[in-house]
Amino acid sequence: MSSGPLRSAAPAAMRLLGGRIPYVEGPLKVTGRAEYTDDLARPGMLVGKLLRSPWPHARIRSIDVREARGMPGVFAVLTGDRYPTPFGVLPITRDETALAVEKVRYIGDIVAAVAAQDELTAERALATIRVDAEPLPEYTDPRVGLRPVDEPIHRRGLNGTNIQKEVRQHFGDVDAAFAQAPVTVRVHGSFAGVTHAFTEPLVTLAEATPNGRLTVWSATQVPHYLHRTLSEVLGIPMHRIRVIKPEVGGGFGGKSDPLPHEIVCAALAIESGRPVKMLLDREEVFYTNHGRHPTENDVRIAFDAEGRLLGYDIEAVIDGGAWSSFGTVTTYYNGVLAMGPYRVPNFRYVGHRVYTNKPPSGAMRAHGGTNIRYSVEVAFDEAAEQLGIDPFELRARNALPPNSDTINQFHISSTSFLRCLEAVRERSGWASKFRQLPYGKGIGLGCGFYISGSNSPIHFTPKMPQSTVHLKADMDGGITVHSMQADIGQGSNTLLAAIVAEVLGVDLDRVHVHPVDSDVSPVDLGSYSSRVTFMMGNAARQAAEAMRARLVRAAAELLGAPAERIEVGHERFFWPEDPARSVSFLEALHKAMEAEGALQSSGSFTSKPMGGSFKGARAGTAPAYSFAAYVAEVEVDVETGVYRPTHIYAAFDCGRPLNRLAVEGQIEGSIHMGLGQFMGETMNYRGARLLNPALLDYKIPMPEQMPEIDVLLVGDDDPDGPFGAKEAGEGPLVATLPAMANALYDAVGVRFYRLPVTPDVVWKGIQGRRAAARRWKGN
Amino acid sequence: MHLDPFELHRPATVEETVALARELAGRFDYLAGGTDLLANYKMHLNAKPHLIALDRLAPLRERRLDRIGAMVRLAELERDGAIRSAYPALAEAVDQVATPLVRASATVGGNLLVDTRCFFFNQSYFWRASLGFCLKADGDRCHVVPQKERCYATFSGDLAPALLVLDAEVEIVGPDGRRRIPLASLYDEGGDGIRRHRLAPGEFLAAVTLPEAARRRSSTYAKLRVRPSFDFPELGVAVACRWAGDRLEHLAVATGGLETYPRRWDDVTAPFVGRRASSELFREVGAAIRPRVRPVHNTFLPPDYRKQMTELFVRRALERLAPTSGAAG
Amino acid sequence: MPGARRIRFGLNGHPVEVTAPPERILLDLLRDDLRLTGSKRGCDLGTCGCCTVLVDGRPTLSCLTLVHLVEGREVMTIEGIASPHELHPVQRAFVEHGATQCGFCTPGFILSAVALLRENPQPTRAQIVRAISGNLCRCTGYTKIVEAIEAASRAGGAG
Repeated sequence: MSSGPLRSAAPAAMRLLGGRIPYVEGPLKVTGRAEYTDDLARPGMLVGKLLRSPWPHARIRSIDVREARGMPGVFAVLTGDRYPTPFGVLPITRDETALAVEKVRYIGDIVAAVAAQDELTAERALATIRVDAEPLPEYTDPRVGLRPVDEPIHRRGLNGTNIQKEVRQHFGDVDAAFAQAPVTVRVHGSFAGVTHAFTEPLVTLAEATPNGRLTVWSATQVPHYLHRTLSEVLGIPMHRIRVIKPEVGGGFGGKSDPLPHEIVCAALAIESGRPVKMLLDREEVFYTNHGRHPTENDVRIAFDAEGRLLGYDIEAVIDGGAWSSFGTVTTYYNGVLAMGPYRVPNFRYVGHRVYTNKPPSGAMRAHGGTNIRYSVEVAFDEAAEQLGIDPFELRARNALPPNSDTINQFHISSTSFLRCLEAVRERSGWASKFRQLPYGKGIGLGCGFYISGSNSPIHFTPKMPQSTVHLKADMDGGITVHSMQADIGQGSNTLLAAIVAEVLGVDLDRVHVHPVDSDVSPVDLGSYSSRVTFMMGNAARQAAEAMRARLVRAAAELLGAPAERIEVGHERFFWPEDPARSVSFLEALHKAMEAEGALQSSGSFTSKPMGGSFKGARAGTAPAYSFAAYVAEVEVDVETGVYRPTHIYAAFDCGRPLNRLAVEGQIEGSIHMGLGQFMGETMNYRGARLLNPALLDYKIPMPEQMPEIDVLLVGDDDPDGPFGAKEAGEGPLVATLPAMANALYDAVGVRFYRLPVTPDVVWKGIQGRRAAARRWKGN
Repeated sequence: MHLDPFELHRPATVEETVALARELAGRFDYLAGGTDLLANYKMHLNAKPHLIALDRLAPLRERRLDRIGAMVRLAELERDGAIRSAYPALAEAVDQVATPLVRASATVGGNLLVDTRCFFFNQSYFWRASLGFCLKADGDRCHVVPQKERCYATFSGDLAPALLVLDAEVEIVGPDGRRRIPLASLYDEGGDGIRRHRLAPGEFLAAVTLPEAARRRSSTYAKLRVRPSFDFPELGVAVACRWAGDRLEHLAVATGGLETYPRRWDDVTAPFVGRRASSELFREVGAAIRPRVRPVHNTFLPPDYRKQMTELFVRRALERLAPTSGAAG
Repeated sequence: MPGARRIRFGLNGHPVEVTAPPERILLDLLRDDLRLTGSKRGCDLGTCGCCTVLVDGRPTLSCLTLVHLVEGREVMTIEGIASPHELHPVQRAFVEHGATQCGFCTPGFILSAVALLRENPQPTRAQIVRAISGNLCRCTGYTKIVEAIEAASRAGGAG
């Protein structure tokens, strides 16, 4: 039957995919009718509030909650002893608890929780709770934690240190490669922590009902992991927990861990017997963090005289904050995501992620791939200068070819990296600008590489598909789509609907993507690691093709034609030999339903086993990879150091873009977020204390700071991606930062190794160069 | 986040307002646009049990070329062509305050009296409690310059430097009647981040008045900040001058965003009056002011840089206003 | 509630009367009491713009506005912008141009844009950028928002 891939179909044959498809939920969002978790209310709903630790590191001697328990209007009070089961997004590093047990580990750690009739009562109750704690030495510098310390933050720290994860990898012979290298460059990168700063604060609503079930609505981008974690910590089987993901106001990785407040909120609902809503304020969102790790890396790269790569030698020290979170993955990624877009013949990486008494770091858009990419791409710029080779040429000489394997056995199925380089070089007018713009103006190239979906599901047992999609078509002619994929604004609902509509040949408005609800949505691992388009997209196509096969069979019966010759038209099925005769979609559907009632179909995606057999070999394996080449142009006020990007040319290989509107939006948004990290965003710690837990002091770029953006989508179809597509959600971020750095260098002749690059830093750099009498472009 | 309960009074006349102020002495704040005050109240920063809203006092909303009511919203000023062209420095300062959404509510008086700011003050109760509070709210020591006497919170209004160089005066109303003082006298250079102005208890700003002479000066305001909107000034420089040909007849320079009050630098600038326009002159004025400003490390950008930029911003402002640029008055 | 008073004001074209204490914030009233949840709570401190409403036609931060101070005034929220059967041109443009991603900031941007186009039906790009510079978006990089407002302007989007 014709459930074969549509891969062979000519692009022109696609009605929806490849075009610009407005978001299916757009009309709800623009009218204020889209429902986010905080927009929901349940009868008798209480307000949940958290008491947080004022200490960065302390041993809890006792917590006295008696007064709070006795207060009128207070329905539940919780401390860590009630639900002490440790959890964590990675099963191998469960070191978090819903509320602090024995110790608190950062300012903001959760000590106690209250459910009360209103916010004021809850806050008054929290104020009565007495915590007796013994302050412990605080560790805020990860380098200190590399050695044994008096009071390790966690018992599981390596040999009495605060090291959470150590990675040592060596492929080839790096020392030999460097020994014979005529040209080596070295970059010490230093990166402040940054955070997601999604506009919708974290919020959860939970209700335990007398039928023994718990329902949890939460602003999450990974409903399935939340589902598992609730079950583990609360001791309730998963089938008695229902997780619903309402509309989510942005995630960027910050809503991908199961978060303690989600568990606490559910626990309060269980304890109180009443629905409880817990909305974190913006300061609490900053403390919850899980943003990009403060990182220092040391990247050495060796080239031969022709600019061919000989090897990488990389070290990274990563500030993990109080918990593991995704940290084991982060530690690998900070090395192995340097494996593309260039062929690296020798590679060594030593990475340490160290616990500190700060809010936990975790996964943030382009997780693990951003800071290492910065140092590599700045190093390439320096190498190009040393070698006297154009930065484009240096990169082109080292590009990984399609259908190749890296030295650590990543399989590169498709890459259009060379085409990215060509396209962006031409569009940006590079040849007439590089080193030729007047002093203070500059142009720079930065490239990118990212996974299109982590090949390893975090929960790899039991072995099941990473994505499943169910379809139901009933007599009304509507098609309902169920999947636990999590649309957090990136447009995955729209893509899901469009794929189904494309395959079935129907109008988009026939397809309804049901909100994520674990009672009806089959498991998909959610929105992280840029996996959704690739994995959910393949599952959706498979589900739709299975349904199409049955409709085609019914149509064939009605037309008296052989099923294998039936073609799908717009809302109809026809036999090409007699195209005047056709049956409508609805006729075919109703015919098909005679046998079995409402049609249902299912599709799934399971990635193939891949990667080597060495320790950590799975980290960074993905069914496909995205590639990028960006050119940034900047203008610097050389007297103040104030600068702005004027233009970013973004050539990106996401395979075939399925929804250009969404892909452009992802690229533009990624550039904005990358510019934020480059230009001013910083988790500004003084010791363990976060000085700027507020949107006023956390410098997200404003519209005036945005450059003109030219998006160039030049990817070839990926052989395994749905309709040839790969990711476009995270990879578009990473090239932004080094492109900016290299453009600044072109403008003023100063290298910047420490992020963010605020105006005072640029000014100081220019002063320093002048003081050293180093001239640049005649100045 | 919530506000602790307070009583809200909305007097309709100045007399009523003064009577209320007398009655509630020490237990109230005046409420103008609320964009700063209510945000601070939400963080439980020195909240009072009573608010006296000034929004019903019609005279405070009047807007004339020589007299701008204290309750005139910044958004109104932003759109007032006559005022804009009469006082470029004021227009430029207004344009750069916070965001359009803030300017819709924020007022002239509110910006002149906007509370001083500091990383250790503009924080939630929880945050401040975890540090043991500070001099300016609930505590007894300063975390910027460790000691227990003086608060180093930074004056963060944009309008004050602009109005200072325009020789503005402020009309003040209070239990003891009405008085008018130079704007410069409103700020207490003997005070600190807490004792930041010289209003007597119960007094409020009624209006800003501008002399006719101010309209014959060229003026400008420049602001240093990380982002072109939202951010409070890390430095604000206003300059007004009048040229006779290329000879400097009048010069006023004021700064904000650096210390606990905005300052006008007449003693520094006086010797330069009478000089001819030249790049040396502009450089010298900036260089003379720089060593006098004393920013501390309680805002986003480092104090040393803000100091350096003060010199540059003064120089650039003078360059902009130089007679050859056609801005001579 | 101590000090609670009955307050009348116009809400999306209809008169309403509510009982509110003096410290009641407009955003809280809209969301919690009147269940108009289109105005979003992003920071509660006036620094994100997600709670933007129009008060007498002017975009205003409802998180920093006391209910008592809107007495007698006309408040318009995102729920009052479209007619029941048709999107406002600005809303339509936001959908068509991909100006909304997660959508949480969208109501605030739309109200800022609607107010701009009423005052200035043919704004320049710089004027658009300035008008939305109090609204924070973390998804779009603002590019498509600016494009949508330009498109709405071309389509006569003063509405």
